[in-house]
Amino acid sequence: MSTCNIHSIESLAARDGDGVRCAVFFCGCPLRCVYCHNPDTWHQSGTEMTAEKLANKLVRYKPYFKTDGGVTFSGGEPLLHASYINEVASILKEKDVNYMLDTSGCVELTDDVKTALQNAQGILLDLKFYDAEKFQKYCKGDFAKLQKFIEYCKEIGVRITLRTVIVPGINDSEEEIAKYAEVAKYINPVKYELLPFHTMGFFKYKELGIENPLEHLKALSPERKDELQKYLDGLMAGK
Amino acid sequence: MKEFKKGAWCDSINVSDFIRLNYTQYNGGAEFLSGPTQRTERVNKRVNELLVAENEKGGVLDVDNENVLSILSHEPGYVSREDDIIVGLQTDSPLKRGVSPFSGFRNAVAACEAYGYKLGDEIVKEFKYRTTHNTGVFRVYNDTMKKARHAGILTGLPDAYARGRIIGDYRRVALYGMDRLIAEKKADKAMLGERDMSEENIHLMEDVARQLEFMAELKILASQYGFDISRPAENAREAVQWLYFGYLGAVKEQNGAANSIGRISAFLDIYIERDIENGILTESGAQELIDDLVIKLRLVRHLRTPEYNELFAGDPVWVTVSLAGVTEDGRSMVTKNDFRFLQTLYNLGSSAEPNITVLWAQTLPQGFKDFCAKVSIDTDSIQYENDDLMRKSYGDDYAIACCVSAMKVGKQMQFFGARCNMAKVLLMALNGGRDEIGGTQIAPEGKSFEEKPLDYDEVIEAYKYYLSWMAKLYVNTMNVIHFMHDKYAYERLMMSLHDTEVERLMAFGISGMSVATDSLSAIKYAKVTPIKDERGIIVDFKVEGDFPKYGNDDDRVDEIGANLVKFFYEELCKTPTYRGAIHTLSILTITSNVMYGKKTGATPDGRKAGEAFAPGANPMHGRDAEGALASLNSVAKLDYECCRDGISNTFSITPDALGADEADRIKNLTTVLDGYFAQEAHHLNVNVLNRQKLIDAMNNPSLYPSLTIRVSGYAVNFNKLTRDKQEEVISRTFHEHM
Repeated sequence: MSTCNIHSIESLAARDGDGVRCAVFFCGCPLRCVYCHNPDTWHQSGTEMTAEKLANKLVRYKPYFKTDGGVTFSGGEPLLHASYINEVASILKEKDVNYMLDTSGCVELTDDVKTALQNAQGILLDLKFYDAEKFQKYCKGDFAKLQKFIEYCKEIGVRITLRTVIVPGINDSEEEIAKYAEVAKYINPVKYELLPFHTMGFFKYKELGIENPLEHLKALSPERKDELQKYLDGLMAGK
Repeated sequence: MKEFKKGAWCDSINVSDFIRLNYTQYNGGAEFLSGPTQRTERVNKRVNELLVAENEKGGVLDVDNENVLSILSHEPGYVSREDDIIVGLQTDSPLKRGVSPFSGFRNAVAACEAYGYKLGDEIVKEFKYRTTHNTGVFRVYNDTMKKARHAGILTGLPDAYARGRIIGDYRRVALYGMDRLIAEKKADKAMLGERDMSEENIHLMEDVARQLEFMAELKILASQYGFDISRPAENAREAVQWLYFGYLGAVKEQNGAANSIGRISAFLDIYIERDIENGILTESGAQELIDDLVIKLRLVRHLRTPEYNELFAGDPVWVTVSLAGVTEDGRSMVTKNDFRFLQTLYNLGSSAEPNITVLWAQTLPQGFKDFCAKVSIDTDSIQYENDDLMRKSYGDDYAIACCVSAMKVGKQMQFFGARCNMAKVLLMALNGGRDEIGGTQIAPEGKSFEEKPLDYDEVIEAYKYYLSWMAKLYVNTMNVIHFMHDKYAYERLMMSLHDTEVERLMAFGISGMSVATDSLSAIKYAKVTPIKDERGIIVDFKVEGDFPKYGNDDDRVDEIGANLVKFFYEELCKTPTYRGAIHTLSILTITSNVMYGKKTGATPDGRKAGEAFAPGANPMHGRDAEGALASLNSVAKLDYECCRDGISNTFSITPDALGADEADRIKNLTTVLDGYFAQEAHHLNVNVLNRQKLIDAMNNPSLYPSLTIRVSGYAVNFNKLTRDKQEEVISRTFHEHM
């Protein structure tokens, strides 16, 4: 039985996938997004748990899941722990509990990753940027990996919900949204949700003693987020 | 013309039979509901003006300090003579409070003085020659009882105020009319007269005689308003009015801590459905009746002392109205009227009273569940209690008194008993029976723990000893209180609307459950070393290492809590009760968790001296680190079997955390409620709001005149809480979305 460091668990995560869900946050991430609000998950921390222990803990929330709810593996990058996730998932499956993956898609397509994707109820794909240059600049990410990941997801037909964090001064313009929409149309998600950049994770940078590159930035206003979401919805509907 | 189906209810007093035979299930949604009529808007505007005036005068608009409040003490009063469709006020003017010195004379004097009035000379003179409940109790209290009370181990006891928590079956007035009810009571009395005159029988016969006096007076009260309630109600408006007269008589006669109105929605719906079918009432007219009844319920007031408000903040009356539920043969009891009661929160604006309580069952129609969730999200004014759980013990015609106390309507009554401070008993156990604040030896002297790491088994042994001692003292104290309450402040009218041979519940309570539980967990899993002061009393603890905390669905600690409650309940059951009452227990603090905290020294869980407890059975603020469902799961492990008087849990979540939009929030909230109650949890207060909104309301009260929130088992107007209670509410765990 494998073990893994679990950063934390949020037992009621009603915004991370379908229905009432329980989110598990893994440690470790291949990206270094300048606007990351969970820098505390970059490195190993939290509690070590066997797959069985985690699964048993999650099954305790089954009364709340009904038909569409379930578990969401998040992070960090959960797919760095795909083999562990597959072990947890096999126990969840016995108890009839589904799971979703909240991922950046910037991972190697190992057999374990493929299995995790195949068995997921759906994925929440965090589409950081729409081209290689910006993905590298703001996230230190490898766009080619993401492209392969998207191709594979399309191939197996897993349900994709897209999400993008909108950061003032970086991607909060209509022109930017239009470029995201182009990529999104190709991905063909069931839903595409914009998330406003917020400053609630700033204290973590201080606590961890890491430099916060966006220290002086303000949160995106809910009004602006709604405007951009509306604009995006229009573009997506016109596909 | 449509008539009621006949059955057993015709031959004997049996309201639940009438309901089961005649009610109409409603499985649809809220789309049929009507908004307020112009008349309702006019009356409600007047009421709102009165409420503003009351608030501006410091919480009490007016006091009649010359007449003792009683059924016939005041001339008829109206909100608006032309517009009232349901009539009757406690005094001759809305929000004018009467005085009721029967349960405690000094309290009546103090309550008058607190608001700038002086109790009238006539009353003072009369009560010179009368024994009140309070006087009776203190004649008999022994020294230990007084000490335990003074130290705050037993607190909030109804020994100086009226006990309340008794629900008259006010529906009987409408269904049978007073003449039939009086005849039945007389027959009961005659039957008792044939028995041997034991002390028990004499006592009961005198009770019935007192009930009969007040039944006659209730008819006179109604006639003063121009109604003849000697006969049954003949239409919906009369049914609402007759029922309300029963309730009004009760709250004119009694100022008990909670005066709940019971389970009335399906009952009244039967009359409404019949009138609608017979073409003499419209939906708008039906809603108007319920709106006007609710307006009257919102105006019920009692004159309280500031000390009382410390315990029960926000001037509550607990006009608890119980909605929904399922029959014993599995039919939903949701009627259109259950929707209408919820709709009053839109038609009249949100409000703390009546205390709307939804008896939640897994099989309730989804349309009703969705509407409840919507109302919760919009108003934070309703609470939920598990009907699937309570039905097993109380059948399908029970109602909630106060916050979480179930009782069979008209068949059971309760001896209310406030609560015992579990955290303080733990400190007393560590200090060999001494009070950690005053230093007084209260319990028998035992070993005082030394300044070295505490041994879990030794602590448990000492704790159990003192809990057993406490349980015995608690039962005996309650016996004294309720003997005297029956003797000097008997609820004649409420009890006249009960079966003569009633079942009695004696409701004990505990506070500080989560503090005591976490403290034991700290002693077991971390290293806890007591620190003593110069008196040799433990005043603080050094805690090294981490320990599991209640509220994270962690069995290691949750079992400690569940076992603690079970142990205390079993100990309580060992001492017999007054009048053979059944022992019950609640985990409920109202708002007194702040006051209990103030009176309790530092605890081994790291809580500082004086810091507020968590309310009811809630995990301590901020310790539930794994989110809302983990917290709910921990509370769900407490066994209702040993807490038949209720397990209160208050849940606050931000709208963002509950879902992205209204539809998601409604769906997710009903899902959470189903999931929680499926695990045999008992109660949930639901608040869907932002902490920031409360902080803003605290600083700018005038911008939030009717901000209502759920606290432990009831709703309050946030502005009516004192600053320290507002701060405590704000410090509670809000489940947030990051």
